[in-house]
Amino acid sequence: MPAILEVDGLVKKYGDFEAVKGVSFSVEEGEVFGLLGPNGAGKTTAISMLTGIFPPTSGTARIGSYDITTQMDQVKKINGLVPQDLALYPTLSARANLNFFGRIYGLRGKELKERVEDVLRIVALTERADGTIEKFSGGMKRRVNIAAGLVHQPRLLFLDEPTVGVDPQSRNHIFESVMRLNRERGMSIVYTSHYMEEVELLCNRVAIIDEGRIIALDTIKNLIAMLGGGVIHVGLPQVDETLLAQLSALPAVKEATLVPQPIAPPPAEGVEPKTQEREPVAAGEVVKIVAEHSQQAIVNVIGFLNEQDISLTSLEILEPNLESVFLHLTGKKLRE
Amino acid sequence: MKTLSITFKDLQIFFKDRGAVVQLFLLPLLFIVVFSGALAAIGSGGEEDTRILLPVVDLDGGEAAQTLLDGLDAAGGVRVESYEQAEAQALLDENKLARVLTIPARFTADIADNHQVTLRFVNHPDADPEETEVVRLVIEGVAQDMSLESQILASLQQMGAMQANAPEEFQVFTAERTMAQARSQFERSRTQPLVAVVQTVPGQPEGEREEMPDAVQLAVPGFTVLFVFLTAQATARSIYDEKRVGSFRRLLAAPMSKASLLAGKMIPNFITGLIQTAVIFAFGIIGMRLLGLTPMALGDAPMAVVLIAVAVALCSSAFGILIAAIARTENQIGGLSSVFLWVMGILGGCFIPLFVLENFLGPLPKIVPHYWANRAFNDLLIRGLGLADVTVEMAVLLAFTALFFVIGLWRFDFD
Repeated sequence: MPAILEVDGLVKKYGDFEAVKGVSFSVEEGEVFGLLGPNGAGKTTAISMLTGIFPPTSGTARIGSYDITTQMDQVKKINGLVPQDLALYPTLSARANLNFFGRIYGLRGKELKERVEDVLRIVALTERADGTIEKFSGGMKRRVNIAAGLVHQPRLLFLDEPTVGVDPQSRNHIFESVMRLNRERGMSIVYTSHYMEEVELLCNRVAIIDEGRIIALDTIKNLIAMLGGGVIHVGLPQVDETLLAQLSALPAVKEATLVPQPIAPPPAEGVEPKTQEREPVAAGEVVKIVAEHSQQAIVNVIGFLNEQDISLTSLEILEPNLESVFLHLTGKKLRE
Repeated sequence: MKTLSITFKDLQIFFKDRGAVVQLFLLPLLFIVVFSGALAAIGSGGEEDTRILLPVVDLDGGEAAQTLLDGLDAAGGVRVESYEQAEAQALLDENKLARVLTIPARFTADIADNHQVTLRFVNHPDADPEETEVVRLVIEGVAQDMSLESQILASLQQMGAMQANAPEEFQVFTAERTMAQARSQFERSRTQPLVAVVQTVPGQPEGEREEMPDAVQLAVPGFTVLFVFLTAQATARSIYDEKRVGSFRRLLAAPMSKASLLAGKMIPNFITGLIQTAVIFAFGIIGMRLLGLTPMALGDAPMAVVLIAVAVALCSSAFGILIAAIARTENQIGGLSSVFLWVMGILGGCFIPLFVLENFLGPLPKIVPHYWANRAFNDLLIRGLGLADVTVEMAVLLAFTALFFVIGLWRFDFD
């Protein structure tokens, strides 16, 4: 499959702050691609550059063979954007909103009417098309928000956190719409979220983004395989290099490393220092054990610690999912 | 077309907002009625004599002068008091008298001879302009009645004398001819009144003296300018709302230039401003008449009035972009709009006539576009001037428009 989107070293700086630090990835025609990362990771900034809301500081991207730095007018005709906010006019009806967004993409007359009816069908709001947006539920507003990004039939759709604040029923509606758009119309989709369940459900490949950088990019299967046979967090009162080497050498254990604890910023002068900036996983220190086989590794680790007369302060077995992958890669939880 | 789509959408949203429509369309009408009605109410109080003092120096002392004085007293609204010329001048200089009406010597004789005479109405610079306006209207009304009476009587006397001297030509003076002659004199008394009133303010050269327009002529254009500029607030709020809900990002992601986007946000302000002007002016001409108040006159150059209205609406639209560029929050939009638009309105003569403002503020009002807009409307509506006479005002308004737009564009945060 040819790539509809090729991103090459995209950077966005605001003064000294670098919001996006040279991200590169590609999306194939007809693919649903996930951008997974916590709030503030740089997902929306990256999408904003790709959709022409503001230019990149450096780097570029090609969308459907057009360069975003020199041919943004062409790129905008291919792109569709569903922003994170409910970008609608609340005092107008759903139909009036969709008519407006169709017109600014150059649709007129019969074509506009047909397109509006089509997207209303896609989001299952034909019956409520003439109701004003301000009287809609949160989920219905989200669906109109998506319809507004579809009305001009984009080849590449950017969905930026489309399920924030949505009830489960509407969330399922949105998932179904995304899957149908991809399956039945072959629409390429870039889906950003900080909910790993959504990305796991919808996307073929995922880029995990944190602090403006892509820290992993692969299929979901391959990303989870990074965890090997599983990941175990073991809390211990004291850890040294010798102990880590001994744990790494145990059968069924692939690797044992110390989980970095967040360092609290120095207190301001005259202010009492806080003991911990975030909730600790456990007292003492935490060792991350990447296992080849998690059950066998747990047995071996506990046996070894008993032999050494070292008591455990905590034990946590991480599920093999993207949340664990993110924790494995960054030491942070996705929703922190 | 995309720009017009934004315009159409914004107008749809604006006219669904009843509060905004009331503020921008009904409020100015209310202001005009109250402002004009308040003047009409002066002098119609109860037992207490609330009539405005009119000091009169009678240099004639004849029968016609007395008729004039009786007419002024009977007209209501003013209380006539006689003064010696020197005494009146001294009191006027000390601002102990606000105004003095002088009846010239030979007033009675000139009227009898059907020669034009001029009453001099001198006002102190600090005199209350509204009171001055009321007194002027009373003097002009009585003077007009006298002119009419004298001119028609003189005409009939002339016809009677001709008829007496030439009885064989009796048929010449039919009833139709007599009525036509009366109508002709009636018209002449309006265009070339026998008794004219010249109003002056000491310290101002005769050539630069300000005409004293009636309240409606001041209120209608003044409040039009004020409220058309207030529309700028709606533009700024509309842009802020687009940014707040995120639709502005959606517009930026659409295949249209930033200039088209901003133009789309400006044009609704421009159209609303023109509709406001049309509605307020129509009310000034028709509505005031229906309410039994003095209607506004449109002057001799309606096309020039339209062009000034276009310039004012353009300037207001550009100012809306400027506010949107400077203000970062909804409160800032409200605050900046209140401070700028109302203060500019007060400073620019929307509430107080320009000549009064300039008397105590000097050239300061010239720094706001409202001043130039009001000055242009005053020239066109009150002084009856034409387009050529308001080119400076038009140029200054367009310069303000360009300035606001350039600064707005420079400071505008598209991100």
